[in-house]
Amino acid sequence: MPSADNLIPLSPAVFHILLSLGEGERHGYALKREIAKRTNGKLKLGPGVLYGSINKMLELGLIEESDERPDPHLDDERRRYYRITSLGRQVARAEATRMRELAEMAAATFGKARHA
Amino acid sequence: MLKLYRMLLHLYPAAFREEYAAAMEQEFRHEIAEAQLGLAVVWLWMRLLFDLAVSIPVQLASEIARDSRHALRLWAKRPWHTGFAVVALGVAIGANTGVFSVVNALLLRSLPFRDPAQLAALMHFLPPHDSAAQFESWRRHSNYLQDAALMEDGDLNIGHPQHMLRAHIAMTSYNFFSLLGSQPVIGRTFASGDHAVAVISYALWQELYGGSDQVLGRIIRVYGLQPRPDDPLTIIGVMPADFDYPASTVLWKSPEYSPGNNGWATIGRLKPGLTWTQARKAFAADVHRLEPHRRFRADWIPIVLPLQDQLAGHVKKASLLLMGVVITTLLIACANLANLMLARTADRQHELSIRSAVGASRGRLIQQVLTECLLLAMVSAALGLIVAVWATSLASKVQPAALPSQAYTILDARVLAFMVGLAVVSAVMFGLLPALGVGRTHMFTARGSTELRSSRIVRDVLVTAQVTLTIVLLTTSVSVVRAVSHELHIDRGFRADGVITASVALDGTVRDKPGQRLQYFEEVLDRLRGLPGVQSASATEFLPLLSGKFMGGPYAFDSHPSPKGTATDVIPIMADYFATTGGHILYGREFTDQEIRSDANVVLVNETFAKLWLRAADAVGHTVTGPDGTARTIVGVVRNLDFMGQYISDVFDVDPPETFIPAHNPGGFDSTFAMKLEGQPEDHVAAIRAALQSVDRGVPVYAVETMQQRMERAFARPKFYRTALVFFASFALLLAIIGIGAVVSYAVTQRIHEMGVRLALGTTPTRLRARFVRHGLATVALGTLGGIACAASTGKLLGNVIEGAKAFDLTTYVLATVSICLIAAASIWVATRRIGNMDVVEILRAE
Repeated sequence: MPSADNLIPLSPAVFHILLSLGEGERHGYALKREIAKRTNGKLKLGPGVLYGSINKMLELGLIEESDERPDPHLDDERRRYYRITSLGRQVARAEATRMRELAEMAAATFGKARHA
Repeated sequence: MLKLYRMLLHLYPAAFREEYAAAMEQEFRHEIAEAQLGLAVVWLWMRLLFDLAVSIPVQLASEIARDSRHALRLWAKRPWHTGFAVVALGVAIGANTGVFSVVNALLLRSLPFRDPAQLAALMHFLPPHDSAAQFESWRRHSNYLQDAALMEDGDLNIGHPQHMLRAHIAMTSYNFFSLLGSQPVIGRTFASGDHAVAVISYALWQELYGGSDQVLGRIIRVYGLQPRPDDPLTIIGVMPADFDYPASTVLWKSPEYSPGNNGWATIGRLKPGLTWTQARKAFAADVHRLEPHRRFRADWIPIVLPLQDQLAGHVKKASLLLMGVVITTLLIACANLANLMLARTADRQHELSIRSAVGASRGRLIQQVLTECLLLAMVSAALGLIVAVWATSLASKVQPAALPSQAYTILDARVLAFMVGLAVVSAVMFGLLPALGVGRTHMFTARGSTELRSSRIVRDVLVTAQVTLTIVLLTTSVSVVRAVSHELHIDRGFRADGVITASVALDGTVRDKPGQRLQYFEEVLDRLRGLPGVQSASATEFLPLLSGKFMGGPYAFDSHPSPKGTATDVIPIMADYFATTGGHILYGREFTDQEIRSDANVVLVNETFAKLWLRAADAVGHTVTGPDGTARTIVGVVRNLDFMGQYISDVFDVDPPETFIPAHNPGGFDSTFAMKLEGQPEDHVAAIRAALQSVDRGVPVYAVETMQQRMERAFARPKFYRTALVFFASFALLLAIIGIGAVVSYAVTQRIHEMGVRLALGTTPTRLRARFVRHGLATVALGTLGGIACAASTGKLLGNVIEGAKAFDLTTYVLATVSICLIAAASIWVATRRIGNMDVVEILRAE
């Protein structure tokens, strides 16, 4: 089992998938829309990159397939849902820490960014 | 649009596609529904295509890596099997790449001249050439050649009397360089009307003038050229380092035309737009116009060829033959590996069934098997690189290319692409059958179930194919071995062992004066005869095997003129020549020192010459009259000497008429001393060279070597073909034996239950084994028949390439058939030895 530290830094796609799944189970298409919304449309994952990332994350054990469907009447049975694993949470936290430290280092060097 | 997207999704590897294609399609439907407007659809497609371009390679790489890891684990479990497969395929791919590098260099790579496809060699043909005007007139009026040039080349002395160099010189018509489109690095090339000027090679420029710009205008002398032996030449240009056409020339000289000089060779450039067929027709008409009444010998018919083909010469045919041989070897290796992989995949049916049961599709399993095969082919190709480099360097030694730019190398985009392509094609060839079998294999449920009849047939077909190809290689190699051995052991009219030879050239040296030449030779012979171990010594102007140029012409016998179309070669020799070189004086005697000194009007003739007129035994005492009118009395008849051995695959008379005259004025361009020695001749080489040089330091002495070494060189090429063919035939035979053995051994494993029952019913193990041998031999016999049919149909090609190789040779076929059947039977007997130790009760209980 790989440790969380060995898996960072994460690609933006993987990090965003973990963030989205942190809020609950989602299927692929929902993940994609959620990520686009969170990033104000800046990160639009194509299907190849999205499922490629999901495939990789499944292999690494960051996420797993969920057997439960939120509401069978509202959703297509064939869709697969994914949920974050405890390793996935650890990795997401480790990545967030890494980014925070990076941001603090940048602030110490260049000063804090001002928002207009 | 969905269809198109679905098709594109097929580019993903199987496992990924099976997992995610449905979801991706669904997503596509959503997105396409949302993007209703035309521009939005275009934008969506652009994003999707970009996404595919980014993600497909990533997924492919990841899945190939996973399959490769799996394959490596499987290989590690059966290292011997894997090692055998890698070596078999590696040798085959390497040999193919090596031979292809030669074919590529000679036939596919363009010549380093301007518009080389239009360059032609006019073979066995001389245009009018008695004077410059005559040649120019023919050249300008040609209706098929845009331009044509003459050249004559040979080894001559250059330098100054105190320091002579032996070098390859070409005399060319002034337009030689412009016809080829080659430019000098400094100075200029010839212009019309140039006289007594020379262009030198880059190497000579460096060696004699240290690469100085001051070389232009300097004087250089070339000695031995007729009709003006030692005119000073003014250097007007230097050619680039990679230009040495023809035949490693270091100096090109402006032309001297003289009536009757038949040493010229002609090259040309076809008129634009003219095809080779049209050119051949126009050339034939031209030849007929120039010499309407001449009847050409069947092996000397004028022909116009692409220059590239002429330069490749017989190496072209031989390389193509070798290419055929190595491709056959590769096919055999592939058939063998296909069988091996079939057996291996069947052995893995348990694993494959499980993988299939947990959801792996047939496509996924096929992909895995193909990846394994591809990986195997790539590893083999890496090993093949070593074989290829070795093969290429060997080929460079045995059959060097005509031009430096044609050097054989595998570091060439086309050669490397060929190698990778070959690896991929091989992987498909040996991987396809096992891969297609995968889908069916996993449906087997019970362990030890009898295999499908169809897969047994596939295996037998593969063995048959392998035997067929092996027989082709075997018969080819036996034919070649017999032909080459015959060629090597033929009586050439001289003995090679115990003889040392050394060449000298007197042209331009201080000894190049009337009377001085013979005096020099007599001094040398005196000194050589006084050396310890030297039994006898003599000299000749043309040494057997290695002479391509002769003096000669029509020779009359008594009052009878020479028969039409017969040219007799004239070879000046010194006393004791035949005693020294082991020649056979059939009747009469050879020359004495006194006859050489006095230039007596005596002559020796060979059997062919004597038999033109009468019985060889009766020739002594008759008179021979040469083209110069000198009448000479025949004092002896000798067995034919082979002067043309090096042109073994070319078109020359095997035994032309020869006459030998006293070498009263020796020291021409091919003068060679010969010494017969006691003990190992190699031990005397240094002493002999020293003795020769001590007579006169100003005379270049070269090629001091044993006659055996000269023989080795002259026959290096046929020997190389022989060795190569024997190697590949043995390799193919080994593969076939291993292949047959493996198939039978596998069949024994598969049919263990059936055999248990048979043994229980009272049959003996020997009978069971005999059944396997019978079945195996039937397959082998079928393959042998096919092989003989193929060998008989390709035999003609073989006869063209290797002199003396028979197109249809019954003994060889019988020999090959018997040996492969015996070997196959032995291999099957060994493979079935397990049957003897079978425990019937154990087998039946296990079932």
